[in-house]
Order: sequence, then C-alpha cells, then structure tokens
Amino acid sequence: MQTQPTQTGFDAYTPTWCPGCGDWAIRIGIKTAFTQLGLDPSKIFMAFDIGCSGNMNDFFNAYAMHTLHGRAVTNAVGMKIANHDLTTIVIGGDGGIYGEGGNHFLHACRGNHDITVIVHDNMVYGLTKGQVAPTASKGYKSSSTPSGIIEQPVNPLALAITQGATFVAQGFAGDTPGLIAIIKEGVKHKGFSLINVLQPCVTFNKVNTYHYYLEHTYKLDKSHDPTNLKSALEKSVEGFTDKFPLGILYQSSKKTFHEELPQLDKPLYQKGRFTDFDLLIERFM
Amino acid sequence: MKYNWKIGGEAGYGIMTTGTVISKIATRSGYHIFSYFEYPSLIRGGHNTVEVVFSDEEITASKWHVDMLVCLNKATYDLHKHRLTSNSIVMYDPDIFQPDIECKKVPLPLKKIKEKQEIHQQMLNTVAVGGSISMLGGDIAIFEDILKHQFARKGQEVVDFNVRLAKVGFDQIKADNVTPLSILSKKNETPEKMVLTGNDAYSIATVGADCKYYAAYPMTPSSSILMSLAAWQDQTQMVVRHSEDEIAVINSALGASFAGVRSSVGTSGGGFALMVEALSYAGIAEIPIVVFLGMRPGPATGMPTWTEQGDLLFATQAGHGEFPKIVLAPGDVSEMIELTLKAFDLADNYQTPVIIVADKFLCESFKDLFKDDVDKTLKDYSPNRGRIVSSTTQSPYLRYKIEETGVSEMLIPGQKGVFFQANSYEHIEDSHTTEDSEARKKQVEKRNKKWNTYLKTHFDGPKYYGDKLADTVFVTWGGVKGIVQEAQKILSREHNKNVGLLHFNHVYPLDEELIKSFFKDNVRYILVENNSHAQFGQLLRMQTGVNLNEKVLKYDGRPFWPEELVKYVNGESKQIHNDVPKSEDVEKPEATSDLEKRQDELLNKLAAKMATA
Repeated sequence: MQTQPTQTGFDAYTPTWCPGCGDWAIRIGIKTAFTQLGLDPSKIFMAFDIGCSGNMNDFFNAYAMHTLHGRAVTNAVGMKIANHDLTTIVIGGDGGIYGEGGNHFLHACRGNHDITVIVHDNMVYGLTKGQVAPTASKGYKSSSTPSGIIEQPVNPLALAITQGATFVAQGFAGDTPGLIAIIKEGVKHKGFSLINVLQPCVTFNKVNTYHYYLEHTYKLDKSHDPTNLKSALEKSVEGFTDKFPLGILYQSSKKTFHEELPQLDKPLYQKGRFTDFDLLIERFM
Repeated sequence: MKYNWKIGGEAGYGIMTTGTVISKIATRSGYHIFSYFEYPSLIRGGHNTVEVVFSDEEITASKWHVDMLVCLNKATYDLHKHRLTSNSIVMYDPDIFQPDIECKKVPLPLKKIKEKQEIHQQMLNTVAVGGSISMLGGDIAIFEDILKHQFARKGQEVVDFNVRLAKVGFDQIKADNVTPLSILSKKNETPEKMVLTGNDAYSIATVGADCKYYAAYPMTPSSSILMSLAAWQDQTQMVVRHSEDEIAVINSALGASFAGVRSSVGTSGGGFALMVEALSYAGIAEIPIVVFLGMRPGPATGMPTWTEQGDLLFATQAGHGEFPKIVLAPGDVSEMIELTLKAFDLADNYQTPVIIVADKFLCESFKDLFKDDVDKTLKDYSPNRGRIVSSTTQSPYLRYKIEETGVSEMLIPGQKGVFFQANSYEHIEDSHTTEDSEARKKQVEKRNKKWNTYLKTHFDGPKYYGDKLADTVFVTWGGVKGIVQEAQKILSREHNKNVGLLHFNHVYPLDEELIKSFFKDNVRYILVENNSHAQFGQLLRMQTGVNLNEKVLKYDGRPFWPEELVKYVNGESKQIHNDVPKSEDVEKPEATSDLEKRQDELLNKLAAKMATA
C-alpha cells in the first residue's frame, strides 16, 4: 500500500523497487545509520543521481537535489561548500557515479570534499532495462553487449584510494547490519567517503545474484589495517580475481576541501556581503 | 581629438600590459580612452597588438587610421602600414628596418638599447612606452608611479630598474630633438577614472552583487574573470573554483545556489555547450544561476582569440525541454556593471537561469569610466532576492506552489522540520516526482508565467540614441553598440548625416507590443551584427514579427570599424578593409634570443633533412 510522506522522519513514499531488489536493504541501512547518528531530514543534504537508486529521492526525506544523471557528486560538492554545517550524502548507481559521472568522481576524490558517496553497484542498468554497467565483469552479456562486454570493469575502490579519497569501504546489500556500521563510519568520517555497495539486480542480472555474492565476498577482519595504503590497495583488487572484501578498506586523515578554504570560517551562506569596493576599484586606476 | 596609438610585437613580450599601462597614463592625464587588443591563440611567437585611442570626449570604439605605430619588430610595420597616413608617426628600430612609405619617422634604437642596458627583449616595451610618452608630450612621472605600484611587491631594485628603462626611452626621444606633440599633455582637471574591460566590469559587479560562489574552466575570452575573482577571494571571501570541466562547473554552482548562496559561472561557446544540460535542470528545478557567455568565432574551437556575436540563438534556445530563461547583452562596460547586478536579481526573482552574452570585443577591450559613477552604482545597489527566504511559515512547505506570478517561495535549506527537493523530474507542488497529466500541465504553465511577469516587471526595451527624426537607423545589440556610436559621430560631423541607433541589451525574451512600437514606417533600418546568420534579426522576427531586410554582417573574427559603417551608409562600399596584407607577405621576425636562434637552426636542419629524405 502506498504511504504518504511523513513530516518528521526519513520515510517518504513507499518505494517502487522490484521485490527482492537490494535497494530496499540499502535504504534501510541508510535510514538506520542516520537515525543512530542523531540526524534528521532537516540536517542533511542529499544528492540523488538518476536510476533505480536515485529514485530513492521520493522515498527518503531530506534537503535534496534529484539531479541529472552522472552529476550528483558535483551538485553535492557545491552544496557542501555553500553550507558545510549539513551532512552531505550522494546516492547513485554504478552507471551514474562511475560511468556518466566518472570524471566528477575522480576529481571529487582528489578534492577530499566532505561528502559520503553511496554507490548501488549491481553491475547492470536497471531503470533502462538491463544494459551493461561499467562495473560488470569482462564478457558480461547484456542487451547492449550481446556478445559480451569488451572493456574490463572499473575498479572503484582502487580508483578512489589512488585519487585521494580518505574513506573507502565496500558493503553488501545482503548484510544490512554490516552496511549500517559502514555507513555510520563513512558519514562520521571527515573527507571524501566512498561506500560501494554490492547489490543484486533480481530482474536483470542473473549472474551476480545473492547466492553469487554470498560465495564471492568475505568480511575484512581485524588483521586488516585500513590506515595502511599498500594493504588497502591490495585488498581493493582482490574481488576481480577471488572474493570481494567487505568492510572499511582504507581510511586516512587529511584536511577536507572546505577546511582548506580560509573564507569558510563559517558557512558561506551565512557570510555578510563584501562592500569594501575601493579595494577593487583602485586596481583599475 | 581622436588619436590612435598602436604597438605591436611578438606574443610573450608584454604587449598586452603595455596597452593597459598607456591607457592608465592617458586617463590619469585627463583623457578618455578605448583600447582594443589582437592576439593569436599562442603563448609565444605570434603577433600581438594593442591600439589605444586617446580622446578629449568619451570614446567607445577604435578608429581605422593609426596615428602612431610603435614597432617592436618589422612584422608590426608590415601588418599595419596600410592603416597609416602620411601624417602618421612610425617609431621603429633603424637597425632592423626603414619604413618605406611616406610617414613621420621616429627612430628608437631598441636593439642598441637592449645590448647597452643588458636587458631581455620583454623589457623593451617599457622603453617603447617611455619613448611614446616623450613623443606624445605626456608626463613621465605618471608612468613612474604606475611602475612603482606594478612592481612594488618585487622590491625597490626592480622598481628602480623599470623606472630607469622608462627614462631611457623617454630621454632617447628627447635627445633626438624630435618636436613632441601635446596629445597626452596633462590636463588641469583629471577626475578619477577607471580603465576596465567587459570582463573586469563583470568581475566587479559579481562581487558587488554578493555572488559568493564562482566556478569556471578556463576558456578565452572569459578566463580573466576567473583569474580576477580568484585573485580577490582573500578579500571578498567569495569561493572561486576552477573545476574539472564545465559540467562540474555549473552543477556545483547549482548545488551552491540550492544551498542558499548567489552563484555564477563563466565560459565561452564550447564550454557553454557542456553546461546546457544543467541549464535545463536549473529550469525545471527552478534554481537561480547567472551564466557569463563570452563569445568567440565558432563553430567548435573556431578562432579562440577573435570576436563574434555567434552564440545568441544558441544561448536563447539552450537546454532541452521548455523553460523560461532571460538573456542580457550589455553594450559596453558601464552596461556590463548595471546588467550584471540586475542579472543576479533576475535569477533570484525568477528562480531561473540568466545568461549574459558578450562578444570578445566587449570582454577584452578597455574603456574608461568615472570612478565616482562606478562607486555610486555599487553602493546604491542592494541585492533583491525576491521570494528566496531563510525561514518559512508554510506547513506543509510547498516548494513549487502554483502562483499567479509563476514564482514560488524558495527556502534556503536548514529550517528544522522542513525539507524538499530540487527535482529534475516533473514534480507536484511539494516537490515529489509526478507523471500525472494535470499536475504536469500546471507546473509547465506556472514556469511559463515567469516570462509574463518578467516582461511586465523587469524587461527594458531598446534604447534609442541620436536624432529622433533620423530617416536612417542602425539596429544592433550587445557589444557592437560603441562602434555604431562612433560611426554616428563621424556621419554627423563629417558627412552632415543624422543616423539613429536602436540598441537592444535585454535580448530575450522580447515584448512584442513594446518592440513593435519602436519601428516606424518610412525609416531605413540597417541591422548590424557581428555574425553571418543575422541572429538577432531572426530572434526579432520570431519574437515580435518585426522583419529587417537590410543587414550589414561581419564574420571574419574582427569587430566592425566605425569607418566601415560610415562608408556603408554612404553607399560607397560594403567592405572597405579587405586590403589587409596576406600573412605570406609578412617577413618572418628574426630570432631574438640565443635559445630562439638555436631553435630556428634546429628546425631549419630538420626541415632540410625532411626535404631530402
């Protein structure tokens, strides 16, 4: 049954995702993490990309932008700069964040913008009916690659680590408690956080199923040191040969983009108007 | 008095700075100036020129004849001698060449000075300005003062060195006993003036308008805005970002705008093409944004450092789907300040994109303005954010509430208990996505109403300049204004002809009834545009039904010359200045540094090798 959006909580309309879709669990993971962190819809910025994941815009209350495909990260960068008091989250899919928005993604890592990017990675395009995604394994057959995709998959974790992201983690939609823990840490982290969530598409991806992920993932244990860049990089390439690691692969402490800007001693939107025009005028005399 | 001083030399040798400096010397001496720059899309090795016209009265464009040509190399002479008269002064280095036409020759032995002073080629422009001031009867103390400010940060030694070079040039001309002119002799009254390009005017007004976020990706001819605003950000507290591409530029600006700050972006045609998708998002999500579009000749990379008015129709029609937008085209630096301030108010008041279009000619040409006028304009302005609020009493809050004006209340995020989305999908009043036919229709109509409100409330019709009874009237838009105004002066003073000017700067949308009232029967209207498609003519026809048949179009990358329009009106010619020398007629400038000589040798060897291979 369709519910109406609440005026206080995070719940908006009842989602329209396919039964069994990983998006349901991810939404619960995000909502639970936010609640446990004491956030409410008026304290967060969210930028939703376009796709099944981005459709969460109508199922989740926040000060939000439902953006253009691939551009959610750039909108979030602008929101955070204008008001760094609000927690800023990006919700997108593998296509939006790593394909259409791939360039923005790598540059946002470089900037260490204090935003958390949660990527629904199901290796397929759901909303446009099953075409291949940039994270799909080489040879994956889809309606747009009937003979199998020639390109090798993007490695988002390695990409993020090498380009300057300071929090890089991987979750699985079949492990909600693990997901909640990762999202909480990612949101708390000061700097650019990537949370790649492995997620089955029950309608279009018949290869990467719940069963597949149960067999092809493992949880990082205490022996993994996320502050060690070298071992984080080693873990980031594992999934492509063996099993995908779940948990926090990498975390480091670095000044965020807004902390690097001396003019952001307080949120930009609260700053007064500059009126000392003589300072500018004298340059032209 | 209208005196055209021109200097030319190899790119990278400080020609552009020279133009700014001599413009300031002239304005500080009590004169008005207009200066126009030409340069190729190269860092080194091409030919750069600046011409500065000094005048007792306000001047708004350059002039065809060059009164004094300062040649830092022979190419300057070869490329510009067709614009000299027998009265023109040619300042040249007798060790490099001798002018071969009738003119007033003033030798300045730059090569010898360079060797004697042991200075780099780049510093010769300071010597040349010193020599020019001497010749023009100007005050060398003003130049010294400018050099002191310019090099203050680099220490007294550098200041002294440059002042000495200026004097070397100044004294050389004095020593040669050339009779100086009194073109730049200091006037008694010298009200304080600023010297500004269109880009400078935009930058200052953007700060004045309380814009707090400016993003750009460098692209000629708008790059200097990014550099100026970035240089000032410690003082202005604006956040200025050079993002990875123009898509990120505008989308981050939309993010900042959504979060509550006035935001702007700047670009040229190619970069604007990348922004178009986001413009459409701003349209449906109703996010204010001010876009600066500096126009250069396209298509594609085109001619990056030259001028054209080729993107008007593109700007007005940019964006998929239907949404209201406002396009403004300032005619000069003064209008650039006024309309930039207004653009930020319009973007907020109508919660939609506002685009400022300017040709390279306006972006990068210098004109003077009285300091007090600029100061007053900035101080008298206070931002009008329309229905943008930091708290709301609506419950539930309806971001896209249907309103008669088309404009709903826009809440700056942060109020507790309230939330909404800037939705790129069609949406209902509370901002949730919809595909319902009735809701869609209502939102389309709501957005369209903004245009009606704008036309009634903020639209300004064209301005008429000149004799109201003139039977011939130029019609133009944007940066061509000043050129036509100079043509009007020549026609009236030298040909006893009163020709009017109808100039548009609020170019889109246009109010049909109001615009129609400006056009009368039995008047010869001449549409003047710096493009080949007569784009404003098309827009005028499309929006108002007014059809102008007589057109003067120029699309060779160069601005019009006032004299060109004069000849056209007099029926003498359609194209007067096609006697420009071809590039192969110009002698290649000789290599000046050891490094360049070595490069030349190597390239010659390579070429010889390839020819025999």
